[in-house]
Amino acid sequence: MDLVQLSKVGVSLGGKPVLRDIDFVLKPGQIMGISGLNGSGKTTLLRILSTLLRIREGSGVVLDANIDSNDVFIVRPLIGMIGHKPALIGELTLHENLLHVARLTGVEEKKVGAVLAVVGLDEASDRRADASSFGMQRRIEVAHLLLTRPRLLLLDEATSGLDSSARDLIAALTERVVGDGGGVVTVSHDQARLAESCDNTMSLTEGRLELVS
Amino acid sequence: MTRIRVLFGVAAAAMAVGLWFALTAPPDTLQGEYSRLINIHVPSLWLAFLAFGLTALGSIMWLWKQKQHWDRLASASAEIGVLFTAIGLFTGMVWGNAVWGRAWDWGDPRLTTTAVMFFVYLGYLALRNAVDDPLVKARRSSVLGAIAVVQVPLVYFSVNLFRTLHQTQSIRPDGSTMPSEMLVAMLINVAAFTILYVALMAARMDIARVEEMSREPGTLAGDAIKAPKLNEVKDV
Amino acid sequence: MSFWTQTIEIARIDLRVERRLGDTLRIVLPFAVVALLVFPLALGIELAVISRIGPAVFWALGILFGMQVALRQSVTDSQERRDLHALAGVDPAARFVGRIISGGVLMMVFLLVLFLAMVLLYGPALPEGSWSTMLISSALFSVGLAELGTLAGEVTTGLRNRTALASLIVAPLALPLVIGASQSLEALSRGTGILTWVLLMAVTDLTLAVVGVGLARPLEEATR
Repeated sequence: MDLVQLSKVGVSLGGKPVLRDIDFVLKPGQIMGISGLNGSGKTTLLRILSTLLRIREGSGVVLDANIDSNDVFIVRPLIGMIGHKPALIGELTLHENLLHVARLTGVEEKKVGAVLAVVGLDEASDRRADASSFGMQRRIEVAHLLLTRPRLLLLDEATSGLDSSARDLIAALTERVVGDGGGVVTVSHDQARLAESCDNTMSLTEGRLELVS
Repeated sequence: MTRIRVLFGVAAAAMAVGLWFALTAPPDTLQGEYSRLINIHVPSLWLAFLAFGLTALGSIMWLWKQKQHWDRLASASAEIGVLFTAIGLFTGMVWGNAVWGRAWDWGDPRLTTTAVMFFVYLGYLALRNAVDDPLVKARRSSVLGAIAVVQVPLVYFSVNLFRTLHQTQSIRPDGSTMPSEMLVAMLINVAAFTILYVALMAARMDIARVEEMSREPGTLAGDAIKAPKLNEVKDV
Repeated sequence: MSFWTQTIEIARIDLRVERRLGDTLRIVLPFAVVALLVFPLALGIELAVISRIGPAVFWALGILFGMQVALRQSVTDSQERRDLHALAGVDPAARFVGRIISGGVLMMVFLLVLFLAMVLLYGPALPEGSWSTMLISSALFSVGLAELGTLAGEVTTGLRNRTALASLIVAPLALPLVIGASQSLEALSRGTGILTWVLLMAVTDLTLAVVGVGLARPLEEATR
């Protein structure tokens, strides 16, 4: 059973078409890379895959949920995303951010300490998120996804601006999701990096997806 | 620490002496026992003026010299000033309720300007609280601290500028209008409160200094960040 | 996780953030008290009139400054934070109710302290039963304003002049709450009973709750 199936999907934002006739399939265990210029619609596509953006044309199924229906509310906890900007509550400490997610998703709170140690932030976790560096915030996002164990992982320029250890961490997370039978979609403008790390790559040009490799 | 203990010891002794004089001075014939509140009310507001004056001094000196101890002086003094303004307002309202028949008189600009002064410095403290970075905090609050002091003469001279229910200054260049025993008691309490202020300032500035030092002196912020344990990602 | 677990967690975190930032109690509340001080000075009115208008001024300032309290969380809400909650599986209705709980608690504290300040400064002649009436009115007013603030925050998500627009939306819609709250004290003074006014506020609160919970999911879709 495919993790994602999009058929002739189209979306307009601000009255202007951004994506058109998008056909996309993601299979379990697959890492798909999507490249494109800035403003080509890569983030929009990821938001559709995350079920956070409703489509205007076409149809789609993500993790067995029709993306036009309220079933998306059931599957959202199985989706993990690292977007452009870190999704954290700035006024809370890094530790409190993870505890918050654990309580919302029903994960055991004692796992928070373990994931903090794995991402190397156990001694820095009492810092406020808005007082932490971008790299630290990204690590906490990885820690978040280690807690929630998503089946579908979406990465939007996730490694931009990161040091090698943080990039390795995201690679390890990707491996884990794939190893668990899930799938990964990673978006970047860096085609070369995508070709190295992904099973297949596609290119988003003029609102349309084309297979590259 | 010993210096601060000594200061508090002296302050306690001075307050005890002030209390004795306040309780033994004969009460005012019209105001009765409520007149004794003047031994808290006036010293509290005197202390507030002193404190906010020193906040302004500390602010201006920081802007000039950029040395952290001036900022500590300014903020510690503002905190103490706000506390004693509140005490002054409260005792004033209790006294006013008993003597004028109402806690708050809108016809009295000294009362209103004192309350506004309270909120001005509450705003100063709120500004400090909103900023994390010590340098940015010092810079911004120094500017406000230097400006806010205009409230002090406005409060002090308001009773001269407007015809009000409030008593005009009891001690003027041409002599005092208070009975001598009350005046002595009040002046002793002003002195005692001033010593208390010095003790509180010493303690508060010491705490501020220790707080600054405790923010990981000598360790870099990045030292707490460790390499991730990549081989544990799969099983965590 | 259950609806109520998520709701309580959202409310808890909102209150913790507020405790860290201190906007309501350290900034908005003192600002409102300064307004209480400045109001009679600006109008230059006599003491007897000041005492009489105290409760009305209180409710007027309650709505104007209360809106800042009601809107504070919505205004600082970011797309990333909304996504965080959405992908954690938080039901939009749970988010709505959680926000109302935290907003209501803060509003209640704000109103009670402001009322105390009004009583001290304006010296109104309050009839017997004023404090319990005040508690009931404040509770209903707080819940209603928190509901309006949360709804206004949702419908203005991502818009340019969000703060001003949300305030404009809340102010007129809060009229039943202001009328109910101020008239309940008036009714007490006249001895005519407060039930009508309490019911007005309660019905307003209930209507807003039903609308908010019912429209939470469609509203979340519309703001993406």
